[in-house]
Amino acid sequence: MSRWLERFRPYLMVAPAIIVFVLFFIYPIGYMIYLSFHEWDFISPDKQFVGLDNFAGLSEHPEFLKSLENTFVFTFFSVGITTVLALLLALWINRPTRFYGFVQGAVFSPHIISLVSIAMLWMWLMDPQYGLLNWGLEMFGLPQSEWLASPETALYSIILVAIWKSIGFNTLIIIAGLQSIPPHLYEAAALDQSSRFTSFAKITFPMISPTLFFLIIMNLIGSFQVFETIDIMTQGGPLQSTNTLVYYIYEYGFRFFQLGYASSAGVILLIVLSILTVLYFFLMSRRVHYQ
Amino acid sequence: MAEIRFENVKKTYGEDTIIPDMNMTIKDGSFTVIVGPSGCGKSTTLRMIAGLETQTEGNIYIGDRLVNDVSPGKRNVSMVFQNYALYPTMSVKGNIEFGLKNRKVPKAERQKLIEEVAEIVGLTPYLNKKPQKLSGGQRQRVALARAMVKKPDVFILDEPLSNLDAKLRQQMRSELVQLHAKLGTTFVYVTHDQVEAMSMGDEIVLLDQGEIMQMAPPLDLYNYPANRFTAQFIGTPPMNLVSVDQLPSAGFSEKAVEQIGFRPEKAKLRHFPGNDQFSMPCTILNRETLGSEIIYQLDTFAGKLYAKTFNEPVVDDEQLVVSVNNEDIYYFKENGRCIAPYLNRETPIKVRSTV
Amino acid sequence: MKTSRFALKGLNVLGLLIVIAIFATPFVWMAVTSVKSLSETITFPPVWIPETIRFENFALAWDSGPFLRYFVNSLIVTLSILVLQLFTIVPAAYAFARYRFFADRVLFALTMITLMIPTQLIFLPVYLQFSSWGLLDTHLALILPFAANAFAIFMLRQTFKQVPEELLEAARLDQASEWKIMYMVMVPMAKPTIITLLLFSFITHWNDYFWPLVMTTTDASRTLPVGISALTNVEGGVAWHIMMAGNMILVVPILIIFFIAQRHIIRAFVYTGVK
Ligand SMILES: Nc1ncnc2c1ncn2[C@@H]1O[C@H](COP(=O)(O)OP(=O)(O)O)[C@@H](O)[C@H]1O
Ligand SMILES: [Mg+2]
Repeated sequence: MSRWLERFRPYLMVAPAIIVFVLFFIYPIGYMIYLSFHEWDFISPDKQFVGLDNFAGLSEHPEFLKSLENTFVFTFFSVGITTVLALLLALWINRPTRFYGFVQGAVFSPHIISLVSIAMLWMWLMDPQYGLLNWGLEMFGLPQSEWLASPETALYSIILVAIWKSIGFNTLIIIAGLQSIPPHLYEAAALDQSSRFTSFAKITFPMISPTLFFLIIMNLIGSFQVFETIDIMTQGGPLQSTNTLVYYIYEYGFRFFQLGYASSAGVILLIVLSILTVLYFFLMSRRVHYQ
Repeated sequence: MAEIRFENVKKTYGEDTIIPDMNMTIKDGSFTVIVGPSGCGKSTTLRMIAGLETQTEGNIYIGDRLVNDVSPGKRNVSMVFQNYALYPTMSVKGNIEFGLKNRKVPKAERQKLIEEVAEIVGLTPYLNKKPQKLSGGQRQRVALARAMVKKPDVFILDEPLSNLDAKLRQQMRSELVQLHAKLGTTFVYVTHDQVEAMSMGDEIVLLDQGEIMQMAPPLDLYNYPANRFTAQFIGTPPMNLVSVDQLPSAGFSEKAVEQIGFRPEKAKLRHFPGNDQFSMPCTILNRETLGSEIIYQLDTFAGKLYAKTFNEPVVDDEQLVVSVNNEDIYYFKENGRCIAPYLNRETPIKVRSTV
Repeated sequence: MKTSRFALKGLNVLGLLIVIAIFATPFVWMAVTSVKSLSETITFPPVWIPETIRFENFALAWDSGPFLRYFVNSLIVTLSILVLQLFTIVPAAYAFARYRFFADRVLFALTMITLMIPTQLIFLPVYLQFSSWGLLDTHLALILPFAANAFAIFMLRQTFKQVPEELLEAARLDQASEWKIMYMVMVPMAKPTIITLLLFSFITHWNDYFWPLVMTTTDASRTLPVGISALTNVEGGVAWHIMMAGNMILVVPILIIFFIAQRHIIRAFVYTGVK
């Protein structure tokens, strides 16, 4: 009896978690892939096998292509700008005093606020008529912007909000990376009379580059999933200018009940995320190697 | 109280055989020290007694009980670990009490037992402290108290003093010996330090590559090494060995030996040759003055030798003669076995009492 | 030399104040707007100090929907998730850290794959699944998928792995059962990690918008973020002051907790992000 228990204990221990994962993550992924080869409207009893038709359809679907483009633009700018600004900010505010601690807290605060509130708050700030941002632009003698109301600026406005929300988190992660650099490296550099720039290029940057790699990949994975701000602030508009991949899936699955289409768009997102995930694990195994 | 018996015990990890075939009886109530170079299988042996490892083949008995299939908690064995292994989230009292609770010892009795052992090891004022707040020596005592409170049949200790500084280690050694005398329980103590082994054990098991090189009381190990390994492992500096073909006087080869050996402390340094059988000219390469004694490193045509004297320092650079009394010479056969002085036969690997 | 240093220091402080302003102003503006009158929200240039502080906006926002219901739903969902996670994560992490068993690598790989699957990818199939089980628009639909957490298992496994083997052996010799070793020895040692992970989970699910949006159809199971988002289309056009008042109700408690436990929360997020 006890031998039997001994043998099965580990399985018993992981079972609850594994059941949840299989039921709600692994199986649904499989089902999504299955649906992507079918046409189904959710109501009719049978699902019709259509092979790769859904994917072919997507490749000619301007709305989908637009959403793909938007997702890439969003990802490129939000991740790029966030990472660079966070690095600069981290180098600047990585100091142990109370005041700097307060600055760090302030920068970080948006990260724990619901995106719903952030989206609604920024809608208000970006209101073309009465918004605070246009008032600010006017104060500095700059031309006002239409922000979310114009297809030209809407996506960039959303990018701005994404940066504002995530920069603090990124900054603090980089600060943690900076603080884990052994101080004796800098002491050696100081003895060699190296300039600040040299010690950044020769010590700081190489030492935190693994952290930066991780951040970038995590940010990429996160930004391919952007949904909340879009749903609340623009609903993909105006003129599809802020339609993104996840929003597209949501609309085609939930509004138009084209489950095949939505699923094949999901498969495409899955492929992108898988590539990033493989990259992530590859880097992780490398980093484990360093330690 | 129990003796421990190993019967043809073999332990392998995958392809590696760590212990090929071990047979021994650890006497009831003894303070047995298992000693040997690092990696020779001392911990593995101990852990098999505790049940933390299972032997690949063979039987282990504790007392009359065959414990092959008995789980660690039920062997009535207490262990003291090298890094103490105290539960950091429990107080000293909690640490000592944990095993009792698991054995469902009633509360009042637990309280009494804890007070008793705390008194013995001098921890009474620290019972409510967390282990992290204690010094190394105090932690060691907590580990001992935790082991003692279960009133085990066997205590096993795996290099328990190696994390202490030299002075404290000295003190704890004698405390452990006294504790053993007081409790009378079988102690199995592992160390890689031969000095520790010699000073603490009343029975020493010398291991090399999983094989018992010799099992004997400390003085027998010193006086009657069973083989070259034992001779060289016990004593600092180790026993000098000289190959017989390097010796001019023919007398040795008669005994069909390969090498002769002598302890550095038996070497005599003189200015003139005597009539000892072993006598050779030498120069001093180096000297270590340790206070009461001096260790010389000597250069001879038969290689480098050590000598340890308690005499006045000898002047450097002099041509000297190193010689040894006949009765201090050990003979080693080709198979490594040793013939000790006065004992015109091979010393047995396991000696029960002084020959 | 000395003056230029002084100037540099001043410039630095000014820069830091600007940084604080960038992150604080939106919240201040939210607070100011939340006590304005409707007419004060539609003036340009905007007014910073409203004529009368209208606290009734909060009541209006609160009464504009069944917010008590939303609040209770949020509480039920989030707390259930935390409790369930505690019971699934700890044994799984322990098993992955401490046992070699036949399928351990496969099952751990499966966990790691799960870690990388966002809810945005699986909501459609899970929705279909829940609809066939009749679970749509229930608390269970919001709780069950998050009853385990791959990320937390991964982190806790790392922590468990760092516990020295000797400690477990000592416990085994103390006749502790495996369950007892887990709950009496390992879990207390991993307490900081567990608290960190729970804090992280709490904030994630308390703030979650996407999943409840997808899985709920009525107020019976909607949570606060979804409820608040409905303020964007209060009938009769946009009422910014009410919207901001509603969001204040959601944001202020979190911000207060944040500034009280700032260090711990930041450590929780940074720790879970880096390691
Ligand atoms: N779990 C294990 N797996 C494989 N090899 C092991 C394991 N434990 C110990 N060994 C090997 O067994 C040999 C003896 O180890 P040990 O008994 O710890 O030596 P020591 O005498 O230093 O205590 C060593 O060579 C060690 O590498
Ligand atoms: Mg060892």
